[in-house]
Amino acid sequence: MKLLLKLAFAGVCGLGLSYAIALSTPYWFKPRIEASVDITDATLIRQGEYLAHAGDCIACHTAPGGKPFAGGLGMQTPMGTIYSTNITPEKDTGIGRYSYGDFESAVRKGVRPDGTHLYPAMPYVSYAVVRDDDIKALYAYFMSSVSAVRQDNQPTTMPWPLSMRWPLAYWQLAFAQPRHFTTTVTDAQLERGAYLVEGLAHCGACHTPRGIAFQETALADGANSPFLSGSVLEGWYAKNLRSEDTGLSTWTTAEIVDFLKTGRNDKTAAFGSMSDVVEHSTQHLSNEDLTAIATYLKSLKARDGRSPTWQLKENLTTAALKAGDFSAPGATSYVEHCAICHRMDGKGAPRIYPALAGNSMVFADDPSSLIQVTLAGGRMPKTPHDTMAFTMPGFASLTNREVADVLNFIRNGWGNHGSEITEADISRMRHEIARKPKHFVPGEQK
Amino acid sequence: MNKRSLTLTGAALVAVAAAAGAFAFLHEPTLDAPTADAIAVLDANGKRIGDYRIPGDNTIAAGPNADAIRLGQRLLNETARLLPANVGNGLNCNSCHMAQGKLSDANPYINTTNSYPSFNPRANRQVDLTMRINGCFQRSMNGKPLGTDSTEMHAMLAYMDWLRQGVAKGDKTAVRNAGPIDESLVPDPERGKTIYAAQCASCHGANGHGMKDQAGDYIFPPLWGDGSFNIGAGLARTYKAAQFVKYAMPPAMHLEAPLGAGGVLSDQDAVDVAEFFTHMPRPDFAGKVNDWKGVKKPKDARY
Repeated sequence: MKLLLKLAFAGVCGLGLSYAIALSTPYWFKPRIEASVDITDATLIRQGEYLAHAGDCIACHTAPGGKPFAGGLGMQTPMGTIYSTNITPEKDTGIGRYSYGDFESAVRKGVRPDGTHLYPAMPYVSYAVVRDDDIKALYAYFMSSVSAVRQDNQPTTMPWPLSMRWPLAYWQLAFAQPRHFTTTVTDAQLERGAYLVEGLAHCGACHTPRGIAFQETALADGANSPFLSGSVLEGWYAKNLRSEDTGLSTWTTAEIVDFLKTGRNDKTAAFGSMSDVVEHSTQHLSNEDLTAIATYLKSLKARDGRSPTWQLKENLTTAALKAGDFSAPGATSYVEHCAICHRMDGKGAPRIYPALAGNSMVFADDPSSLIQVTLAGGRMPKTPHDTMAFTMPGFASLTNREVADVLNFIRNGWGNHGSEITEADISRMRHEIARKPKHFVPGEQK
Repeated sequence: MNKRSLTLTGAALVAVAAAAGAFAFLHEPTLDAPTADAIAVLDANGKRIGDYRIPGDNTIAAGPNADAIRLGQRLLNETARLLPANVGNGLNCNSCHMAQGKLSDANPYINTTNSYPSFNPRANRQVDLTMRINGCFQRSMNGKPLGTDSTEMHAMLAYMDWLRQGVAKGDKTAVRNAGPIDESLVPDPERGKTIYAAQCASCHGANGHGMKDQAGDYIFPPLWGDGSFNIGAGLARTYKAAQFVKYAMPPAMHLEAPLGAGGVLSDQDAVDVAEFFTHMPRPDFAGKVNDWKGVKKPKDARY
C-alpha cells in the first residue's frame, strides 16, 4: 500500500513536471524573433499575396461558403475534427493583434502568442524552412490586405484528455524543431523547386507517408527517402511524386506544369483535395516557379527496389470491348456507367474526361482515391485557362461487388496493372465518406 | 482461491475486456449501396400500382433473351460504328437517349415499348415502334431504315422491352421523356451564340462539328453541318432542343449519377442556344413533304 501511494505521488509529480516543461518550451526551445516590418509597403504586400497563394493558406483557413481566411473548415483526424482558425486581421477573433514575432512563431514554429501549441494540421513543420524575408512579406499581406472578419474559432470535437494541447510540446520537441532551408543541389532552378516543395507548398503534408506519431517520415529528399512517396489523408491518396514506376515516371515536366497551372492535362485531371490545391494555390504561381517545382519533382530518384520507369502490359481491353466481349468481371458495368465518357479505349477526351489507360492515379500503389472518386465523385478546379470545368458523378448506388469489379477492371485494363480491390475496401471507403467532417460557417446549422 | 490465481483471473478479465473493446473500436459493419429509389408505376388513371427500379446491365445475363438484349444495348450505344449502312452521320441512338435510355428527361426508353403503337401528329397516323425507330434512323441519324424484321431491329426492341421490367401494357412508369420549357419565350440566337461558346463549344467544337475520341468514334456528336441530324429530326426544332439542352446538357456538371447532366441553363438560355444551333446549316430531309399533312404545325416546325 505504501508503495502504491509512493508510485501515485511520483506519477503526479512526473505529470506536473512534464506539464511545466511543456509550458516552458516556447521560451527556450522556440524563442521569439521580433523584427519591424513595414506592412504598408505595396511591393512587400504583393509579394506576400503571391507567397500566401504558394502556401495555400486560404484552402484550409476558409470553410466552403465562408469568408476568406475566417477559418471554420473541418479537418478529419482519427481523434476528432479540428477546425481551421480565423487568420484575418480582426483584433479579437483573428490575428489583428499579432506582432511580427507572434506571426512568425505561429507560422514557422506552431506556437500561438499565448504559448498554446498548434496541431500539426497546420503545416508549420514545412513552413519552418520559409525564409525570413518571405515570412515578413506574408505578415505585411495578412495585416494590410486581407479583410478583417469577426468570427470566433470553433473548438475541436476531440474528447478530453485528447483535447489537451500541452503534450503537443513534446511532439514538437521530437518532430518540429526550428530549422533552416538547406539543400545539396547547386542548380538554381532545382533549389527554387526544393525550397517551394519542402516549404510553403508543403507538398509533403499530404504526399509523404506519416509515422506512428503522425509525423511526416521525411521532410526533404535523401538517399532512398520516403519523401513524397504517397500517403492517404481523409480517404484521398496523395499520389507518389517520386520519379518511379507508379510515381511521376509516366509524367513529363511539361505535363506536371500544365496540371499545376490548369488542374488538368491531356491525360488526367485533379480531383479531391488536389482540386482545391490547384484552384487556390498552384494556378496562381508563375510558370518559372511551377517549372522549378516540376523539375525538382522529376529529380526525386526511385527508391531501392522501385523501377525508374513503368511498364504497361499489352492492351487487350479496347479490342474486347469493341467486339462486344463484356465477359471480364466489371466489363458490363464499365460499358454501362463509364464508357460514355472514358471510352472503350480508356483514353477519355483530352482536358475534358481523364484517361484511365496509363493514368498513374488508376494504378497507384494505394487505390483510395480511385475508390473515393468513384463513390463520391469529383470536381476539376476552375481556372481561367479552360472555359469549362467538369465533374465526375458519384456512383455510390452501385454495390460494393460492382464497384470492386469495375475498379479492378479499370486498374488492370488497357495494359494497366495494380493490386486487387476488395468489397471490404469499398465498404471501408463508404464509412470514411460518411465520417467526413462538417464545416463551420456562421449562419449555417452545424 | 489463492492470491496468484486471483491475479491471473483479474488479468484475464482485463485482457478479454480490452480485446472486446479493441474489436468494437476497429470492427465496422459492412456498408453497401443504399436500395435504389423506387419509381412509381401508374395505371391508365394515374394511380400508383407498383414500383419500378432501373435495372443494372449485370442482371441481363441471368434473364431470358440475354444475347439479343446485349446486342440491342451495343447497337443503341454504338449505332454509327456498328450500323454504318444505316447511320448517315456521327450520331448514335444514345447520343440523345442518354445513359442507355435510363435517364429521365433525356429521352428514356423505359416506357417506350408500352407507348407504341400510338398516334404520331407529324405523320398524322398511327405508328408502331419499328416505324418510330426507323424515323430516327432517317432523321436524327440522317440515314436509312433498318429492316423491320432484321436481327438488329429485334435486338433494339429486346433491349427496350427488357428495360420496362415487366410493366404491363397500358401502365406507365413515372419518368419524363423531356422536362418542361416555357414555349412563350422568344428566342434570341445572338445571345444563344454566346451561350454556345461558353457552355457547349468546349466539347462540340467552336464550329459545331463535334469531337471524336482517339479510337475514331464520336464522343461529342456534331451539332450542325453534314455530320449532324437533318432538319426532319425532332431535335432540329427549337423548343424540343431547348428541353433537351436544359435538362440533359451539359453533362459532367454536378455529382449526381449517371452523368451529372443538366441544371445549368435557364429556360431563356436553353431556348436561345437551341435556336442558335438548330438553325445552323444541316442536311435537308427529303421525306419532309409527307410531314404535318392535315394537322396544325407546331410553331417551331422547320418546314
